[in-house]
Amino acid sequence: MNWTSFLEFTRGPLFYAALLIFIAGMVYRLVRVIALGWARDRVKSRGSKLGGAVRSLLKGFLIWPFIPWVKNTFSRSPLIYVAGGLFHLGLFVVIFLGAAHMLVWKSLLGFGWPTLPLPIVDWLAVVAIAAMIVLFINRLVHPVLKLISGPAEWLNLVFVFLPMISGYILTHHLFFRYETAYSLHMLAVDWLLIWIPLSRISHFMFYFFAKAIHGAQFGKRAVAP
Amino acid sequence: MAEETIYQRLQAAGISRRDFLKGCGGLAALMGLQQAPPVAASGLPAHLARGGDPAPLIARALATKARVPVIWLELQDCAGCSEALTRSHSPTLVDLVLREITVEYHETLSAAAGFQVEAAKQAAMKQYAGKYLLVVEGSIPTDGIYCTIGGHSALEILQEAAAGAAAIVATGNCSAFGGLPKARPNPTGAKGVLDFIEDKPVINIPGCPAIPEAFTGTLAHFLIFGGLPELDELHRPKTFYGHTVHDRCLRRPFYEAGKFANTFDDEGARQGWCLYKLGCKGPTTYNACAGIKWDAGLSFPIQSGHPCLGCSQPNFWDGGGFYQGQSAPLDRPGIGVAAAAAGIGLVAGAGIAMANRAQKRASDDGK
Amino acid sequence: MTTQAPTNGSGRSPTVPALQTFVKETGGWVASQLEACTRCGICAEACHFYQATGNPEYAPVWKIELLRRAYEQRFTIGGRLRLAAGLAKPISDADLAHWSTLVYEACTMCNKCAIACPMGIQIGPLIHEVRSAMSEAGVVPPELMAAVNKQMAEGSPLGMTDSVWDSRLEWVADEWEEEIPRDVQGADTLVVFSSIEVMKFPGNVAAIAKIMNAAGEKWTVSSEAREIVNFGFYEGNEHRTVEILKRVFDGAVALGVKRIVVTECGHAYDALRWTAANLMDVPVGIEVTHIAGVLGDFVRQGRIKLKAGAFDNDGVITFHDACKIQRRGGHINEPREILKILAPNAFKEMSPNREQAICCCGGGVIAIKEADPQRYAVFQMKVDQARKVGAQTVTMTCSNCRLQFTDGVAHFGLDLKVTGLAQMVADALVE
Repeated sequence: MNWTSFLEFTRGPLFYAALLIFIAGMVYRLVRVIALGWARDRVKSRGSKLGGAVRSLLKGFLIWPFIPWVKNTFSRSPLIYVAGGLFHLGLFVVIFLGAAHMLVWKSLLGFGWPTLPLPIVDWLAVVAIAAMIVLFINRLVHPVLKLISGPAEWLNLVFVFLPMISGYILTHHLFFRYETAYSLHMLAVDWLLIWIPLSRISHFMFYFFAKAIHGAQFGKRAVAP
Repeated sequence: MAEETIYQRLQAAGISRRDFLKGCGGLAALMGLQQAPPVAASGLPAHLARGGDPAPLIARALATKARVPVIWLELQDCAGCSEALTRSHSPTLVDLVLREITVEYHETLSAAAGFQVEAAKQAAMKQYAGKYLLVVEGSIPTDGIYCTIGGHSALEILQEAAAGAAAIVATGNCSAFGGLPKARPNPTGAKGVLDFIEDKPVINIPGCPAIPEAFTGTLAHFLIFGGLPELDELHRPKTFYGHTVHDRCLRRPFYEAGKFANTFDDEGARQGWCLYKLGCKGPTTYNACAGIKWDAGLSFPIQSGHPCLGCSQPNFWDGGGFYQGQSAPLDRPGIGVAAAAAGIGLVAGAGIAMANRAQKRASDDGK
Repeated sequence: MTTQAPTNGSGRSPTVPALQTFVKETGGWVASQLEACTRCGICAEACHFYQATGNPEYAPVWKIELLRRAYEQRFTIGGRLRLAAGLAKPISDADLAHWSTLVYEACTMCNKCAIACPMGIQIGPLIHEVRSAMSEAGVVPPELMAAVNKQMAEGSPLGMTDSVWDSRLEWVADEWEEEIPRDVQGADTLVVFSSIEVMKFPGNVAAIAKIMNAAGEKWTVSSEAREIVNFGFYEGNEHRTVEILKRVFDGAVALGVKRIVVTECGHAYDALRWTAANLMDVPVGIEVTHIAGVLGDFVRQGRIKLKAGAFDNDGVITFHDACKIQRRGGHINEPREILKILAPNAFKEMSPNREQAICCCGGGVIAIKEADPQRYAVFQMKVDQARKVGAQTVTMTCSNCRLQFTDGVAHFGLDLKVTGLAQMVADALVE
């Protein structure tokens, strides 16, 4: 087994299997929650639940720290807020607007979209990696985070970090031959795909539930969520 | 009678000492030698073997060594590698090298044919046992009785010829890694030389075809130093396969700047922008195309507007579509398979949800 | 921190009913919220208890830890395996006792954490689920339990029995010379006071009566539905919550009113307006609203006239947003509209305000002595916010908050006037 055939394995059958596990796992997670039964809310609304939910979801994407409704949260937890925000921003840009990743989506979905120049993607990747390190250290020292972090939280950080750092090494041809770095990146990605349904990284799916419920609950009371 | 040295033959051919030394310098440059490697096996005096200008070292080697006999096997091939070699871009250099070897057997080039040429091969193998260089072009079938020559299977021919070889050069992707014949579904069970030969030094010069200068340069190295050049883990000479095509590509700045051709006839393509999105395999392909180029340094595929196919890499035929992004996965679940996976998730999720609901009911009753 | 939890007296481990309740309460919405949590810890910084004390255990996410454990260990395969392999902590009796102090003595269900949560998780309602389990397990702080039992037995946690209620209302009507219609069949509006108002802020009762009369509202109070406070809801006990709600609804149905006006009690409003319909069959055609909303409507509809600038000369006035009336009740704008009439220049907003405001820490915690240190620490922050805008008066629409402010001002010896919005409105009425 040389790196080239290992790369073919990680890009081919392993990715294939990981993707299927990811799909099955995420559907499993989703159905497990949805089919648990939802009590109908019989309380009469003061405001619009739907409006609140839409508003809440839209507001979720507006993370500029100086918007009035964000300011309060931001000023109390600037580090988590900024590092977490930049991490997600970087991750989003790298995964969806990086040329290499867009081609993955294109091959899976059958259509592509314009991408950003490499230096921009590259810098955001650096920012995301740096943010992750900051979040990691913060989790190590913050008394609350120390208290609420179990092994899964640490593993999540590590398993998300690995594809990011290996991807950076890959694009910059650092330390390893290209196919070695590529194999390691794919291995990390494949594992992450399998790990996501097993972990809290799947929060991106439940985000929409929680945010919509939040919006509905506040919208129902005619409070801006 | 002592065998004629290479230099003696060149002199007889009317090449001056000055031209000879110039040729040696060119050869050194081709092989990427900046300093003579300390190769004890070269049999050179210490002051030459230790370093310094490699040209005199090569000159001395060529002046003292006899020609190398070559037996050239063509198995499941297209003779493309042989043909590429004949069109090598620096004739003096190739002449130099081709004159320095004696091709004892080559199906395409031989004037003789049939039993006659097979007999000549047997004689050469006997005469130069342990000394000759075996060049293999084309893959070796393992399934059924494809590719037999003179009643012998390709594998038998290879094993027979390999037994007495000093070293084996597998030229082209087919002999190195199986090449086109190995592409799925691989009806002949084609394999590369390294899948069969373990007890002899094997050098792979993959490509489709192999870059002629990579072949001649490697041969020159063998000739001059009497040993194998430094190889990577795929047995390719690092001199020619040490960098990716992407590393030295003339369109690389466009990659860095994020300027891509999206189709073969868009503005980006006309501007000569990066072909990455059109499926270029340059980033994962180790070869000297972008440096040495083809046809007397005229061009190479990417320069001509076509993405790299990755022809010097193993299994390049199956390594994703030629026009599919290089980062795209090799296998993609179809909608049916994905739906099946989702279905499994659905059933399992519904299952546990029902179990949990039963648990909830039990808790409710329990009070 | 380690208070001895009372046992439920049956000798059975409290963990059994607690777990049963966790399992029973975990429907789709609870599960989806728990699944969405990324353990980022931002909610800690939103919690006034954490802000004031820095105790990491006061992080809202940590308060729902038991609910999460129960969900993982009972509803997920991975959690079950981890539990079986000894890799996960099961819920123990000691855990229940410990978390009982966290969810009762360090949480006012103000739901500020939900506003801060980047995922929008409703941590407040989730803590309510934890309280439910505590209640079923009988692991409730004794002082609170005593108050709950008192309300169940006497109708009011503050000892407002029939005779006390009678005499108090009579006295209020005499003292303020306001007519308080009692048990009027066919009235439009039933006003249900909280015992805190009746017993401690009778001025507020008189003020509301004055406003109702001035607006020409056909209103009444009910001797059956005389207590709006719902300690069953505060405790998190569904049966007791429903029983107390029933008393109010039954009173309303008996008088044939069209709407119930909840006066100044946060838990009561949450229970009656936002929870009742999901716990029981509420009578059809009876609207539930809060006095803050009613005041706003009266002013908007011109049913009462206020003297503009009536409070502009008494120094800076600020408004305290009560967590359950404003953030969780929705009456954020009405008090501000009124204050802009009453004190257009003197009214100044604290920061943060509106749905972002921090809770004063009345919110029921005031009923538990053990919570005093953190209660005063939180109150200190609220006072600092009021001071920052130079407030000399702080007004609000919740008598529980007002109790907290009055108590806090006395405790710290502050020079801060505490009043209720209804009283300000009553004083500024133009006849």
